Amino acid sequence: MSSSSRPLHIDPLEKKWLKVAFALIALFVGVILYTGFFQHVHPPGGMETIDSAALHLSEEFAEDRLGVSVAPDGAIKVTLVAARYGFYPRSIKVPAGRPITFRIASADVLHGLHVPMTNLATMVVPGYISTVTTRFPKPGEYPLLCNEYCGMGHDHMWSQLQVVSQEDWDALTPSSKEP
Amino acid sequence: MNRFLNISAIIMAFLTEGVWAEPSSKVAFTPEVLKTLSAGQTKKGEEIAQSCVGCHVLGGAAPLLDGQIGAYLFKQLKDYQDGSRMNELMTGLVRGLSDQDLADIAAYFSQLKAPSSTKSKVTEMAEVLVHSGDPRRILPPCVACHERDGRGQKIDVPAIRGQSAAYLHQTLKDYKSGQRHNDLLGRMRAISQELNEKEIKALAEYYGQ
Amino acid sequence: MPESSFKPLILSHFWLAFGSFGLACVLGVYQVLERSGLIPLMQSPEVYFASVSTHGVLMAFVLTTFFIMGFGYLVATTSLKMPLAHPKWATAGFSVSALGTLMAAIPLLLGKASVLYTFYPPVQANVFFYLGAALLVVGSWFWAVIMVVMFGLWKKAHPGATVPLPMFATTANAILWLWTSVGVALEVVFQLIPWALGWIDTIDVGLARTLFAWTLHPIVYFWLIPAYIVLYSLVPKAAGGALFSHDLARLAFVLLLVFGLPIGFHHLYMDPEHGQGFKMIHAVGTFFVMLPTLMTGFTVIASLEQAGRKKGGKGLFGWIGKLPWDHPVVLAAILAFLMLIAGGFGGIVNASYGMNAMVHNTAWVPGHFHLIFGGTTVILYFAAAYAVWPKLTGRALIEGSLPLVQLWSWFIGMIILSTPWHILGLLGQPRRISSVAYNSLLTLAWDPYELAMIIGGLILLGSAFLFLHILLASQRKGLRIAAEEAEIHYADEEPEGTRVPALLNGFGVWNLVILLLMLANFGYPIAQFFLFKTFGSTGWGY
Repeated sequence: MSSSSRPLHIDPLEKKWLKVAFALIALFVGVILYTGFFQHVHPPGGMETIDSAALHLSEEFAEDRLGVSVAPDGAIKVTLVAARYGFYPRSIKVPAGRPITFRIASADVLHGLHVPMTNLATMVVPGYISTVTTRFPKPGEYPLLCNEYCGMGHDHMWSQLQVVSQEDWDALTPSSKEP
Repeated sequence: MNRFLNISAIIMAFLTEGVWAEPSSKVAFTPEVLKTLSAGQTKKGEEIAQSCVGCHVLGGAAPLLDGQIGAYLFKQLKDYQDGSRMNELMTGLVRGLSDQDLADIAAYFSQLKAPSSTKSKVTEMAEVLVHSGDPRRILPPCVACHERDGRGQKIDVPAIRGQSAAYLHQTLKDYKSGQRHNDLLGRMRAISQELNEKEIKALAEYYGQ
Repeated sequence: MPESSFKPLILSHFWLAFGSFGLACVLGVYQVLERSGLIPLMQSPEVYFASVSTHGVLMAFVLTTFFIMGFGYLVATTSLKMPLAHPKWATAGFSVSALGTLMAAIPLLLGKASVLYTFYPPVQANVFFYLGAALLVVGSWFWAVIMVVMFGLWKKAHPGATVPLPMFATTANAILWLWTSVGVALEVVFQLIPWALGWIDTIDVGLARTLFAWTLHPIVYFWLIPAYIVLYSLVPKAAGGALFSHDLARLAFVLLLVFGLPIGFHHLYMDPEHGQGFKMIHAVGTFFVMLPTLMTGFTVIASLEQAGRKKGGKGLFGWIGKLPWDHPVVLAAILAFLMLIAGGFGGIVNASYGMNAMVHNTAWVPGHFHLIFGGTTVILYFAAAYAVWPKLTGRALIEGSLPLVQLWSWFIGMIILSTPWHILGLLGQPRRISSVAYNSLLTLAWDPYELAMIIGGLILLGSAFLFLHILLASQRKGLRIAAEEAEIHYADEEPEGTRVPALLNGFGVWNLVILLLMLANFGYPIAQFFLFKTFGSTGWGY
């Protein structure tokens, strides 16, 4: 490579525009970093493996462990299996306004889980466990749709999520869970 | 501890549909099992299957096995062995067979020519369920899993075309009542529970002979 | 002219590209009709997903690769004014890629490879699909090597001289493609093919997705750079002006090359096999790659403004009206920019880390890439074809305003197609469905948008056929013209003898930077699949 005989030439107008461009990029990056670090606005993450072929024989995803469970400290967890063609169990009830942690695994192929217009969204990759924590402000009936191509039944892969008010939730679950 | 589990089960019964205490099947298609399956030998399978072909013919109570999906056959045989699927006759017959024997049987039957479904009875009720399902009951179409013509799909969705109609009828009824419960995640049970008698009959006649 | 013997080769590339494009457009109209549910007899997931898979492969891999190779050979020979190096390799590369295309097309059309153009496992296609895809990529490597070789030969023959901008950009693209295609090549050769052949029982789906993501973002810059070459090097003279800036033009291509590569995880934001740390790093990198596009926007619009003012345009916006809107290359550039602004905005939404959850895998995503790729990029491919057709065929484009009608209709059709598509995504419609089967009130809102999209699709189909007609008719019946008249008019560069900074005239240092960035951004994320125990998946039918 021959040596250069002049430095980079930038027109003054270009310099102005570059400042605008940098400022725009800095704004976007700043918002992402701030909301990520201080408000915990993140996509799901964290490498956790599991044998998708043997989900039903595992501890966490055994068929009788699926669905909604409430820990002694009140933390709500929903355990789901994505399998052609539904999210199992196919009908779940959770309370509004409380943080809910979803733990999802695939028993076969790639799936995507999304409750439209909420941030409950994740890929479900066979071999890996997906974890998403969110809260639903408003009670109502929400469809849980699969949004990744998983075969000829993909159009039909969906389940029902019912978000009930705090009062209805308290009425549902016995107050005492101790043996 | 037991009482805690019982109460949790009651709670979960309110919050979810369907509760199972044990896995529906103990068969998992792990790499080891897949290796066993692919090592299945047709010739050996034919020898062992000599005692099967007597019952597994058209017109008998036992289902036709020719051209069935190999991994599905393997799973059913193993489920008979450990009680996940109940049939006194079958349980007795498969006792003592090794995994490799079962893989050989599966390999043998899966490479036979599958039955055709020339005697199937096509009704509109069946056509709709087979090709479109029913969104109101969250029923996917049968073809979504069982493929067009009901030929089955890897790895373990069974072929149902040309099967004995009586057997298909009984199977759907058994899934509906929960008598048969070795389907992973209760998927066939959930589907069958949504179907009424007429629909079950129509589907059995659509696919079967 | 020495290049005349390569014209049939280049034309073959273009016809394979545009012929595939035409077929893919027909499939596209079928798809938008089927999905709307308007014609119940058409409903068939089997046919639909075979069509989507074929359409995606033809548009994303066949149209692009062959166009880029042909355009690259043309740009190299005409801008460097030298014959094609190793023409036998070029023919071999074309043959390998064409064979691969045919090999993949057969299972696709027979419904045995309905795995979509992303072919994510563990849904498994017929092995010939994967073999064909591999061959298509391998054939393109011949092209990339020839570009790099010609770049080197020219520099040796002209020590210290500035490589003409179109070739600098083309070589950047070739280098980009070599780096980019490694990801999918590893996935296809070491995972998918042995798995489809039955040599291995299971593959790690997380690793496969990661390797594909390596390719999935920079491949869009592989597609985009030839469109930018049109903007920088063909548009200024077509508008009657000059390129506003030279150094930053080169820097923009370097930045696309360097920052376009190590950012693929924005396609994996919602995936569980990677941590938030790496996803955040890739997000930041994704915002950095906005810079070369912002620079390009400025430079090209400034060039257009200068041209407009030269023609007497006054006031803040008066120059816009003075531009030659009746020149296909200029019209295409203006329409491309309008779609770039809208599509770019959508891209920023997609890149926005946590916010991606709202649009991931919804209909917003195909709406976005049809606008930005089918719109901005492909309309500039049309412009390129119109600009070079006389050179390749020795004939002028057919008389009349058909090219302008074709470009306007492509633009209008794309806006009508993609706008409702974006809205459907915001209303929660998943992508990759062949019908609406959810028994939910949510879906009632979707119908009018599906119907609107049919209109867009039909307009686009008409425009596509018009494009093919113009090229065919010009090649057959256009007025024969002299060689000088058919010359491609690249934007003037700085006077001969002017040198540019070495970093903007070569890629040695940049390759090192890329290597370091790729190691940093992909090293551990890929290594983790080998360091930890993972569970693979067997092949599943569909």
